[in-house]
Order: sequence, then structure tokens, then C-alpha cells
Amino acid sequence: MIDSLHAIRDEALARLSSLGPGVTEAELRDLRARYLGRAGLLTAASRDMGRLPAEERPRMGQAVNEVKRRLEEAFDEAERRRAAADRASRLVRDRVDVTLPGRRPSIGRLHPITQVAERAIEIFSGLGFMVAEGPDVETDYFNFEALNIPKGHPARELQDTFYVTEDVVLRTHTSPVQIRTMKRLKPPLRVIAPGTVYRCDDDSTHSPMFYQIEGFMVDRGVTFGDLKGVLTAFVQEMFDHGTRLRFRPSYFPFVEPGAEVDIECFFCKGRGCRVCKSGWLEILGCGMIHPEVFRAVGYDPAACTGFAFGMGIERVTMLRYGVNDIRLFYENDQRFLEQF
Amino acid sequence: MRVSLAWLRDFVAIDRRPRELADALIDLGLEVSAVQEAGAGLERVVVGELLELAPHPNADRLTLCEVSTGDARYRIVCGAKNMKPGDRVALALPGAVLPGGMEIRKSKIRGEPSEGMMCSEKELGFAEEAAGILILPPDTPVGKPLAEALGRDDTIFDIELTPNRADCLSHLGVAREVAAATGAPLRAPAAEVPESGEPAAKSTSVTIEDPARCPRYTARLIRGVKIGPSPAWLTARLEKVGVRPINNVVDVTNYVLFELGQPLHAFDFGTLDGRRIVVRCAREEEKLTTLDGVERTLSSDDLAICDASSPIALAGVMGGQPTEVTARTVDILLESAYFEPSGIRRTSRLHGLRTEASHRFERGADPGIVACAADRAAALIAQVSGGAVAPGAIDVYPALVARPAIRLDPARANAILGIDLPAATMVDLLGRVGIEAVATGGAITATPPSWRPDLTIDVDLIEEIARLHGYDRIPVTLPTARLQPPEVPPDRQLQGTARQALTALGYHEAITYRFISPGWGDRLRLAAEDPRRRFVQLRNPPREEQAAMRTSLVPGLVETGLQNFRRGQVDLRLFEVGKVFFRSSAELPEERLVVGALLSGAGEPGLWGKGRPAEFHDAKGAVEALLERTGIEGARFVAEGTSPFLHPGASARALWEKGVLGEVGKLHPELTAALELPENVYVLELDGAEMLRAAGGRARVFSPLPRFPGASRDLAVVLDAGIEAGRLVEEIRGIADAGLQATLRDIAIFDVYRGEGIEEGKKSVGLRLFYQAEDRTLTDAEVSAFQETILSRLSGTFGAGLRT
Repeated sequence: MIDSLHAIRDEALARLSSLGPGVTEAELRDLRARYLGRAGLLTAASRDMGRLPAEERPRMGQAVNEVKRRLEEAFDEAERRRAAADRASRLVRDRVDVTLPGRRPSIGRLHPITQVAERAIEIFSGLGFMVAEGPDVETDYFNFEALNIPKGHPARELQDTFYVTEDVVLRTHTSPVQIRTMKRLKPPLRVIAPGTVYRCDDDSTHSPMFYQIEGFMVDRGVTFGDLKGVLTAFVQEMFDHGTRLRFRPSYFPFVEPGAEVDIECFFCKGRGCRVCKSGWLEILGCGMIHPEVFRAVGYDPAACTGFAFGMGIERVTMLRYGVNDIRLFYENDQRFLEQF
Repeated sequence: MRVSLAWLRDFVAIDRRPRELADALIDLGLEVSAVQEAGAGLERVVVGELLELAPHPNADRLTLCEVSTGDARYRIVCGAKNMKPGDRVALALPGAVLPGGMEIRKSKIRGEPSEGMMCSEKELGFAEEAAGILILPPDTPVGKPLAEALGRDDTIFDIELTPNRADCLSHLGVAREVAAATGAPLRAPAAEVPESGEPAAKSTSVTIEDPARCPRYTARLIRGVKIGPSPAWLTARLEKVGVRPINNVVDVTNYVLFELGQPLHAFDFGTLDGRRIVVRCAREEEKLTTLDGVERTLSSDDLAICDASSPIALAGVMGGQPTEVTARTVDILLESAYFEPSGIRRTSRLHGLRTEASHRFERGADPGIVACAADRAAALIAQVSGGAVAPGAIDVYPALVARPAIRLDPARANAILGIDLPAATMVDLLGRVGIEAVATGGAITATPPSWRPDLTIDVDLIEEIARLHGYDRIPVTLPTARLQPPEVPPDRQLQGTARQALTALGYHEAITYRFISPGWGDRLRLAAEDPRRRFVQLRNPPREEQAAMRTSLVPGLVETGLQNFRRGQVDLRLFEVGKVFFRSSAELPEERLVVGALLSGAGEPGLWGKGRPAEFHDAKGAVEALLERTGIEGARFVAEGTSPFLHPGASARALWEKGVLGEVGKLHPELTAALELPENVYVLELDGAEMLRAAGGRARVFSPLPRFPGASRDLAVVLDAGIEAGRLVEEIRGIADAGLQATLRDIAIFDVYRGEGIEEGKKSVGLRLFYQAEDRTLTDAEVSAFQETILSRLSGTFGAGLRT
């Protein structure tokens, strides 16, 4: 009995040691089953033990257990070696060509105008401004009259405005939202109004349709110094914290005093270059809201003051990204859009 | 407007450098857009005469030149070819540093000495490009410094004036600002008029019939003028400001216009019927041929300068041809007047005529300078044309133009500006620009000068104080403000959600023009009563193909697609979020926010390896994702009733229980053929308002994660190919079995197959059903029973059989 047990053991060990390096997990599992499985040779041998005389059984049992342990160790060891060899071979098998491009689902981009406008809105939201909107097709009253630009005013040059009817225009600025919002709400107000506006202009720096952001604040005791403060905070957040601003007196009928704001050219740091010519880049118009505008919306000009500003987003975007032709924004060449 | 530094110096002493002066003017609100400095870089450049040319012995392309400056001769090696002996040239002598920075030295070029350089316009900084060297007019004096010879011995400022500052449309006006900026005294213009002969009043008269339109009219008579060219000093100044000289009399009127800002007109006195002036509104249908040769029919709203019988000038806009000053003119009637601005504007618009005169009058001229300008011009005409000024000006001033005093509260000025200036300082600042201000009892009373019609209320004075004090000296402060609750327009939220969802799906945002060609109505095959034909039309569109406001995003997206296709971009994923416009019976059109997208080319762009073309369900997937992100549940897609520009067999409308959200589909083959588009282009368009209604502001609610495992079972059924897959899902959802419906969490269609192994006319649909209970692990038997129920329902309703 013991001899046949040892014969099984030796056969198993011999077959194990004769296995090549390419043995698979399944082959090894099958081999193990052949000896150690429920229907294996060793199991059969231990079953045969029942036929032995009782006094021999313990010795035999011990021998079976010894062989079983020995084989289990051997099979475990073989499996460990096989697994290790397999892992090692994987390092070769799984080699990839890392220079092939990544499989990348394309990520959509927001239009650069949207990105800059949203950034501007975010900055003003941080300063406590809320967003308001108004119609693109506007009445003459909201677009001009209520903004202190009566009929016949030189600021209302016919060729600048698209007309739908005598009294309906495509808004030439977002300022009518000022009027609509002030008529709807009472001070204190801090409002930002983004939107599309239209003017009859079409060249490399003017588009007949463009994007503007209007902002205004009305309260007691709002000053021109506050206007400078808010715009300085905005510009430095939008461009660079070191950017210098220049406020120049200018004229818009719906503000007084009025100003245009230049920022120091960041291409040449104010020394003067091809882009800026003077060291300064004009970016927005602003001023203290005109008493006539307050009267038009039913506010008492003696009881409140406020400032307003408006800026073209294309211009800011062109400066930020170095885009040299405004028409690129509306051609929507996908190769252009993918760059932002 | 072009402003000469030398001319400014007639009125004010200037010791600042041109650039500094420009900055000072900018700080006062006069936008100096360019400064052309006097002869900068031209210090050692003189006019030379080319005497001889000879070929260079060692170089084919070079020429040896002998150039004279009158008192010296120079040998120059030159590479240009456009010169010949006798030409006047710009010769840069050794030591010159040209505007581009080039230094001129004596040198040897290919073995031949060269003692300077003949310059091109580019080298002189006159032009961006030049083909050869600059050849000067043959009468240019040899030996003169080039800057002097070309009148570049002066600095020219280009100033862009805002419409409120008509007072600065002259050298006197700018000089006033310079005086205010520098503190130098202003030398007021004064003219001594040498008078002789019969008094003017004996020869002519002026009658103003409409004093509201013409508050003041001054005439002077100059007898015996000799018409001819103007002297050089006069033409030089006119050329500096960009005015072409005509003759000595007209040149003087232009000169005074640019000097004092007062438009003047000279009539040939001999041609005036009745030798007198009547200022009145024209009669309907009266005719006048203006100086530009156009015969104009006047309206009764046009103010006309007339003689005894008919109009001789369109007041404040343009003179008439019959009374024009010509070589034969002997006596001159010189007009200097003030016209009411809005009337001039109406006439200028009506006749489409914009002149230097109308530009000033419609913005508001200076009624106070009218007589002074007439005297100045009369004296100059006498000086340059030899005429004699008749004694006495005829000055009719029936309606005094008042500049009412303005009351200003200094505390309010400080409060608006955020500064703290004493009233006395404000008075002082206002005085610097000619505003007569006095402070009494805490208030300032200020009377603007005659040349400042823009100053009418206190904030106008506050701006004057601010700009004279200096905008840059106003402290930068941040306001203290009460908090206010935020208010985000729902449209904006939707825009944000749509942008987020579509970019995540790989779509790039486009922004297209909101005006399109109204021809899109036909191109999109829209029915006559389709609301998308209710275009808002522009009266003056930028171009014909942009004459209408869009009623759909599809035209803009398709045009954008077309542009991209033409440039070789075929894998397109573009979207736009924006307004569309519909004509309505209200005063303003209806504006709606819509979301649109276009898809073409690859189904999975950016992935290499075996790809597949985009198909309907890619576009539909974008719609589903968009609706899901917006918070819309239970949208249904139906194939019926889509737009005529979509493929009827590959398009669907997205519905919710109360309306139509939008549609998605392949472009109709007729449309793609007509526009030469690729065949597989898909578009989608969803209505913003309807999406918001369908979303109903429902908040997202968290569903607890399942605690017990679920079971996923596949079911492949074979049924008639015509049965839409969606109906299977609806059918399963319709099974009245509470246990099944409570545990059936998801029905996914994972495969649709036709072909080998499936009978002709049938298809196989693979359904993956996922079951899960909240309170226990489902048993095999339970799930198998559900599967049986479903299969028998599908075979009952659709005759579906299990795929084997």
C-alpha cells in the first residue's frame, strides 16, 4: 500500500518537474485534480485504506497525509512559479506603442466670446452684481430717448443703427437694459447686463453684431471714485493684477461726467507698440448716470447717484488671445473654436 | 481734426514737448489719436539735385550718383533705379539718424565711396512701403532742409472730438484747452480792419425773417478784390489741416474756419439780385444748385440764404453755384452767422450733405465769435487780395443766444466725484475754461462762455471740475453697498446647462450672426404659413443676405457647416445657444431662446482605429442628454410632423406631456443636394421656454443606493422589422403586474439585428432587463417568472418569438 502511495507521489513529482515554462493555469489545475482532487488518485488511495486492518490504518493514514501535504506544497509551489512566470511574460506580451495617440473623445469648447463674457460676469457677480437681460430688438425709446439721446442728437448717427421700423431698432448697446431694469426695480441696484448688440460697421475691428456687457450701480452716495474702484478691480482680475488704468474724460449722452478707460498695453508694458501705438488700449466707456436718465425711469436725481459702464467683449477677447480679426469670431471655423 | 502746433502758438505759448502736450490734452478729454512730430529724424536730410549718374564699376545693380546741395557736391552709391539727372531728391547726410533708426555714415560700397544716402519714403518714415527713392517736385529749392521744404517743420496732432465739444473744432478752441492745461495765458483773437470807401450799409442790407433759425447774421463787404492764388504761408497752413487751396478769398474763409471755428461764406456780390441778403425758410420746390454742382429742390424746412428773389445758399451747409466766387469776381459779400443747430442737422440729413460748416453748426457754434470772425476774414481778404473793406459790419442779431447761469452745489460736486475740493478751488478751475463762476452762500453760480453750448446743468460743470482737477487725481475707492439677493434669469440658467451638456458631449460652441437671408424660408422648404417665415426684416441690412432676423438656428448652423466643409473640416460637432425672432402684432417681436446643434462626419471623432459615421441616434443622444441635464423626464420621440427640411424617415420630434420640446434629424436630401452638403448632416433644435416649462423647476432628488443585489437578464426577441423598438419598451411598461413594475428598474435596448439567421422582414431586438428589489435579494425563480411574463406579453401583442 505504502509503496503504491509513494509511486503516486513520485509520479506526481516527476510530472510536475517535467512541466515546461509554458504550462497554463488550467493544465496545472487538471494535474492537481488528477492527484489531489475529489476523484484523484490520492483520494482513491485513502479510500482504499478502509480495507486495511485497523492496526495499520493509523500508519497508513499518516503516510497519506504526508504525501498529501508534500504534493500540496509541490503543487502550490508549481502554481506560484507558474504565476510568477506568467506575470513576467506579461511584461513582454502587454507592451504597447506609447507613441500611438491617445483615444480621446473630443471635448467641446465654449466660444471664446462666451468664455470671456462669462469670466467678466463671474468677476462682477463676485462684487455683488446681478445679471439682467433685455430684448435685442428694442424700441427707439429704450435704446435712445430714455438714455438722453433725443431724435436729432448728433450721437444718433443714422448710419450706425439698424432699423426695423421708424421706432424699432436693433439695440446699438446694452444700455436699454439699464432703463428696463431701473423701471422694474428700485435702488440699491448693482446690475450687469450682457448681450448682443448691433451697429452698421463691418471691418477687421468692427462687426455688425457684437457682444457687450453693461454694468451699473445705483444707490445713495455712489461716487466717481467708486466707479474707478470697481473698474480697477475688474480689470486687474480680468487681465493682470499689475495692470494700470487711465480714465480719460469722454462723452456719452447718458452719463456725466463721462469717461473712457484705457488699460496699459500688456504687449509692450506701456512703451508703445504696433497693437496699441500709444502704450494704452481703450477697453470701455463709463460715467456717472445722467440726471435725465434717472428722470426717465422715475428716480429722483437728487436722492441717488450711480455709475454705468459698457464694454465690447470682442475687443477684450481679441486683446486677451491676440486675435487680430474680429470676423474670425463669427466664421466659427472649427479649427478656430478648438483653440480656446 | 488736424491741429498744427505752430498755429496753436498764435494763441498760446507752449513750452511742452509735443508728446507731453498730447497727454495733457488727452487728460482733458481731447482724444489725440496721433502725433506727427516736426521733422523727427529729418535733421540732416536736405533737398539735393541729382547731377550725374554712372554705372558702378563693381556691381550691376548699383549706380554712382553725383548730388548737389547748392554749395556742396556728394558722391552717393545708390541701389534704386527710378531717378534721372535733374531730379530733386531727399539726401541724408552723414550724421543723420532716420526715423527708422538708420544711421548714415560715410562708407565704401563695393569699393566706391558713398557720402550719404538718397532716401525713399519708407526710409523717411512717410510711408510703409516704397518702390524707389523719393523724387521731389522739380521746383523744390535745392539745399533746403527737407522738413522745411515739405512743410514738415511743424507738429500735427490728430484729435478725435466727441460731439459735445464743437468748441474745439478750431485752433483757437484747442488753444483754450492748452491754456487751461498749462496755465499759460490765452491771446484772444483780435482783428484790425482797415476800412475805406462807402459804408457797407449804403450798398447792401441783411434781413432775417426767421430769427429762431438764424439768431445772428453778420455781413461785410469787400470791394475790388483780385482773385488769385493765396500766398505760401496761407496755403501751407491749409495743407497742414488737410484742406486743398482754391483761391485767395475762399482760402481765407477756410483759414478762419480752422482758426476760429466760425464757418464763413463769400458771395460774389455782383451776382446778388437786389444786392441784399434775406434769411428765410425756402419755399417748397424752390431750386438751388449748390457748389458741388447738384441741383437741389428745397423744402420749407430748409433755411436758405436768399438774395432779393431766390435762394443763393443752403444756410450753414453749402453755398450756391451762381453766386460762387470766380476769377471774375470783383466785390465780395462775406457771411458770418450763427444758425440754430437742429435745423441745420435736418437740412444736412435731408440733402445728404455734410460739410465742415454743417458739422460745426449742428453741434453748436459760438454766437459770440461771429463778428470777430467776419472782421478777421475781411482783414485777411483785404491783405491777400488787395480789396478794400467797406466801413462797418452789418451785424443783425435779433435773437440773443443765451447761456443761462447754472447753480452748482459744491457739496454735491464733491459727493458725486468722491473728492473734497473747497468751493474756491472749483470757482478757480471753472474760470480756467472761461466759465464765469462766483461762490456765494455755499453755492456756485456759473455762466458758461458763448462757445460752450454743452454746459447746461450742474453735472456738466461737475465734469468740468473733474477733468480740470484731473480724473487721475480722483481717489480709487470701492463702494459700500447693501447686500441684495441674487436674481438669475431662468434663460441664463438654461444657457449654462445647455453649454455644459453639449461641450461635455464634444460639441463646440458657435456664435453666428442673428441676421440671415430671408431666402432661407424657401431653402428650408417651409410651408407658407410656417411661423418661421414671420421674419423681422431690417430696413437697412448690412447686406442682402443678412436682411432678416433668424427664426431658427438651423440656417446659421448649416452655413457654418458649409464654411467648414469647404475648408476641409468634415467631422463637425457645433452648437449654438441663442435667440430667434418672430414678427408679432406687438410693437416688439417675440424673442425666444433656442438651443441648436449640427453633427456630421465621424460618429466618434478623435478616436483612431475603425470608426463609424455619425448617425441619427448620435444626434438623438445629444437631445436626450440635454433634456436629462435640464431636468426633463419622460420625453417621447415621435417620427411624425418634423420640419420639411429634415429627412422624413430619419427625424423625430421630442414631446413632453404638454407640448413640443423640439426636433432632431438628418437634413433632407433635397436640402443637402441644393447646398452641396455632405449626405449625413444632422441637426437638432430645442425651444428654451418649452424646456423650462417641462423641467418645471423640479429639484433633483437623491435616490438611495440599492442595498440588495440586482439581476440583469437578456431577452432577444424576433419580430416584424416595422415594429419600433420604443413600442416594446412601452408595452413592457404597460404590463399590469405590480411586482414586476416595482422591481424592473431598467429596460435597455442593446442590439437591433437584421440579416443572416433572421427571417426576411423580421428583426431581432436585444433587451437587457434589470431587476432589483429594495428589501431583499430576488430569487432566480422570481426573475425567471418576470421574464416569462414579458415574453408572453410581447409575443401576444407583436407576435414576437424568442430568438434561438
